[in-house]
Amino acid sequence: MAETMFEMRHIKKMYGTLAANDDVSIRLDKGEILCIVGENGAGKSTIMKVLYGLEQPTAGEILVRGERVRFRTPSDAMAKGIGMVQQHFMLFEDLTVAENIVFKNEVRKGPFLDRKTTFETVRQLSEKYALKIDPKAKISDCQVGLRQRVEILKILYQNAEIIIFDEPSAVLTPLEVEGLLETMRNLAAAGKSIVLITHKLQEVMAVADRIYVMRLGKVVAERRKSETSADELAYLMVGHHPATRDIPAIAPGRPLLEVKDLCLENDGRDILKSVNLHVDAGEVVGIAGVSGNGQSELEACITGLTASTGGTVLLDGKDVTKATVHERRENGMAHISEDRFLWGGATEGMLYENALMAKEDKAPFSKHGFLNKRSISDYADDLMKRFKVKASSNTQKLHELSGGNAQKLITGREIMMNSPVLICCEPTRGIDIGAQEFIHDEILKKRENGDAVLLISSELTEIMTLSDRIYVLFEGKIAGEFKRGAIDEKSLGILMLGGKINE
Amino acid sequence: MTLSADYLAQVFNTTIRYLTPILLITLCANICSKSRVFNIGLEGTLLSSAFFAYLVQNKVGNIWLAVSVGMLTGMLFTFIIALFIVKLNGQPMIVGMAVNTFSQGLTTFLLQTIFHTKGVVNDVKVTGLPKVNLTFLEEKFPIVYKMFSKLTAVDYLAFVLAIVMFIILYRTVIGFRIRCIGINPEAAKSLGLRVDRYRVIAPTLSGCMIGLAGCLLSLGSVTMFMQDISAARGYVALAANNLCLGHPLGAIASSALFGFTKALSQILQNVAPMQLLECIPYASTIAAMAIYYAVTTRKHKKRKAL
Repeated sequence: MAETMFEMRHIKKMYGTLAANDDVSIRLDKGEILCIVGENGAGKSTIMKVLYGLEQPTAGEILVRGERVRFRTPSDAMAKGIGMVQQHFMLFEDLTVAENIVFKNEVRKGPFLDRKTTFETVRQLSEKYALKIDPKAKISDCQVGLRQRVEILKILYQNAEIIIFDEPSAVLTPLEVEGLLETMRNLAAAGKSIVLITHKLQEVMAVADRIYVMRLGKVVAERRKSETSADELAYLMVGHHPATRDIPAIAPGRPLLEVKDLCLENDGRDILKSVNLHVDAGEVVGIAGVSGNGQSELEACITGLTASTGGTVLLDGKDVTKATVHERRENGMAHISEDRFLWGGATEGMLYENALMAKEDKAPFSKHGFLNKRSISDYADDLMKRFKVKASSNTQKLHELSGGNAQKLITGREIMMNSPVLICCEPTRGIDIGAQEFIHDEILKKRENGDAVLLISSELTEIMTLSDRIYVLFEGKIAGEFKRGAIDEKSLGILMLGGKINE
Repeated sequence: MTLSADYLAQVFNTTIRYLTPILLITLCANICSKSRVFNIGLEGTLLSSAFFAYLVQNKVGNIWLAVSVGMLTGMLFTFIIALFIVKLNGQPMIVGMAVNTFSQGLTTFLLQTIFHTKGVVNDVKVTGLPKVNLTFLEEKFPIVYKMFSKLTAVDYLAFVLAIVMFIILYRTVIGFRIRCIGINPEAAKSLGLRVDRYRVIAPTLSGCMIGLAGCLLSLGSVTMFMQDISAARGYVALAANNLCLGHPLGAIASSALFGFTKALSQILQNVAPMQLLECIPYASTIAAMAIYYAVTTRKHKKRKAL
C-alpha cells in the first residue's frame, strides 16, 4: 500500500452557526491524484483551507505523514511540504518569472541576489517537471495559462510534496486546461501527490485516481475513478439527476438587436472585422469561439463600454452606435458582463445596493432623489429569493459571496430588468451545476417571453444546448452561422480554431 | 544679463543646493511608496527635523549631535506615520495631514517658547554644516570650483545615497522583497513574508534621509530656522517620486528638474515679478505630472491592446 501523505480526521469547521465542514475525513496517498468534487458551498474549498492553514478547524485532527500537526498560517503548511495553487494568482506583475518563483527563498550571494544562479535554477526546475516557461519573461507579458504554470513552479521550488489545486481551470481556455491536466499527470508520475478541487466532471474523469464527493459540508461518497462515471458523480453532487432539457420551438419575431459591419481597431490591429449579426425576438443566439478571438470586444462594443471604429448597432431598429451605456440600457438592453466583479457589480457594495444598481432613479426605489430604503430592501430580498442567492442578509458585501452566488445576484438583477435584449457573457463561468441549470432556465424563460438573448460563452456545451442559432467568431470575424442542430460539436470546434469544414 | 560660463556655474551651484534636499526626501518617498505607505507627512517630518537639528546646534553646538537628532526626528516621525497606516489602519491622508499640522504647530510653539520669536531665528554664532572646500581647484579650474563651491558633505552624501539605495533595492535580497511588497503585498503575504514588519521598518529607516534633508535646510547654505522653512518640498518630493518611476537613480533626474526650476525662479528675480517666479517650481510640478500621466496612459493603453 502506498504511503499516506496526509489524513484529516473528523474535521468540523463552524462559521457562526453554519457548519461549512461537518465530520469530514479524507486521506491522500503518495503519487495519487485525488479529486474533491461538490457544488459551490459544499465545503470543498473550506476543507483545503483548513489543511493549508488558512482556516482553523473547530474540531478534528490533521496528520501529515503520520505526524499530528496544527497549522496556524500557510507558512506552517508549506514547511510541511504542502503547497496550494490558488484560484486568484499571487504574482508580482513587474518582475520576471524567475524572481516570482524564488521569492522568500532567494538564491543569495551574501546580502545580494544571485541573478545568474536564480535563472539557472528556475530553468532546471522547469525542465525537470516539463513545465515550459521563460525564466526571464515578465509576468505582465504572460498569458493566464503561463501564470498558472509559474504558480505551480513556485510551489515545486519550495519542495512541496502535496499540491492542492483550487478550481484551477476556471480561468483557463480549453486548450490551457488540456495542458494543465497533462501537468497534473506528470507531477503525479514524478511522485508528487495532488488534490484537485473542482466541479468540472470532465476534468475529474480525465485525471482522478480517487474521488470524494461533498455535499452540504459532508463527504457523501468516496469512489475510485474506475468504479464510477460522470453521471453518477453528478447525481451524488446534486442529490438528484439533472433534468433533461426540452426546448420548445418558437418562431422568431422581428430583429431586436442588429449589428452591421461592426469594426474595432486598436493601435493598428483589427480586433473586430466587419461583424454582422442579428438576434430576433424569441431567440437565443450563441457566439462560439476560443476566448481571445474578439468576444470581449464584441461584448464591449455592443453594450457601449468601448466605442467601435466602424459599423452600426441597432436596438429594435434604433441606431445606438453612438449611444452611451446608460442610453442603451434605457432603450432596453441588459448586460451580464464577462467579468462580474469588474463590470457587473461593486464588490465593496452591499447586496441590496448591487441589486438596485441602474434602477436607483426609478419608482418605487426613489422619489424626488431620495431613496426608499424599504422598497429597495424588499426588492433585493425578492431578487435573492427568486435567484437563490445564499447570503445571511442583503447587507452583506458582494465580495463576501462565493463566485456562484455573486453571479446569481447579478444575473438576477439583469434578468429582472425585463429588457427586450439581454447580452449575456459567460453567465455560468465558475459556478456549479445546480446554479448553472437555474441560470439556463432563466435565459430560456426570457426567450419564451419573446426577448432576444445574445449568449457569448467559451463553454461549448452551453452554447450548443441553449442557442437557436450559433455564430462562430474567429480572429474577429464571423466564420460561420448555423441553426440549432445544423452542426455538431466537433465541426464547431474545428471552425473555432480557424479550420474549414468540408461540405 | 549675460550668459557667461561664470554665470552658468552659478546656476549649476544653485540648482545643486536646491536639488539635494529634494533628492533625499524623494528617496524616502520612494521607499515609502514601495512599502505601500502613502506618506504625505514628508512635509511635516522635514519641518520638524530641520527644527530639532537647528535647536541642538544652537543650544549644544555639536554638529554631529545635531545631524543625529535631525535624522532621529525624521525616523521617529516616519515610524509614527508608517505605524498608524500599516498597523492601526489609519487613513494615509489623515495621518499625513495630522503630522504636517502637528509639525507646523510644534515648531511655531517651540520657536516662541525657546527663541522668543515668531518668525526667524538667525543667530550668527551658530555654525552650520561644514562646507567641503575644493580650494585646490580654485587656481586651475575656477569654473568647476564655482560650480561646487560651498557645498556641504551632506550634499555629496545625497548622491551617494541615491546610488546606495539603487544597489539595495535592485541588487540585494532585502530590496527585492521590498520591491515585491510594493508590487503585490498580498502575494508576498501568501508566501509567509511578514509584510507588515517590512512595511514599517523600511520607511522608518529611510526616514533618516528626511532628517538629513532637514539639516540641509536649517544648517546648510544658510544657518537659520524660520517658520515653514520646508516650503512644500515634501510635496514636491512626492511628485518627484512619481516622475522617477520609483527608481532611485531616476530620482536624481527628477529632483534635478525641481532643483533647476527653483534655481531659475531665483535667477530671474530681476526679470519678472516675484510672485510669478515663485510659481515656477510648483507650476512645473503640475506640468511635469500632467505630461507624465499623458505619456504613461498612452503606454498603458498600448500595452492593454496587445
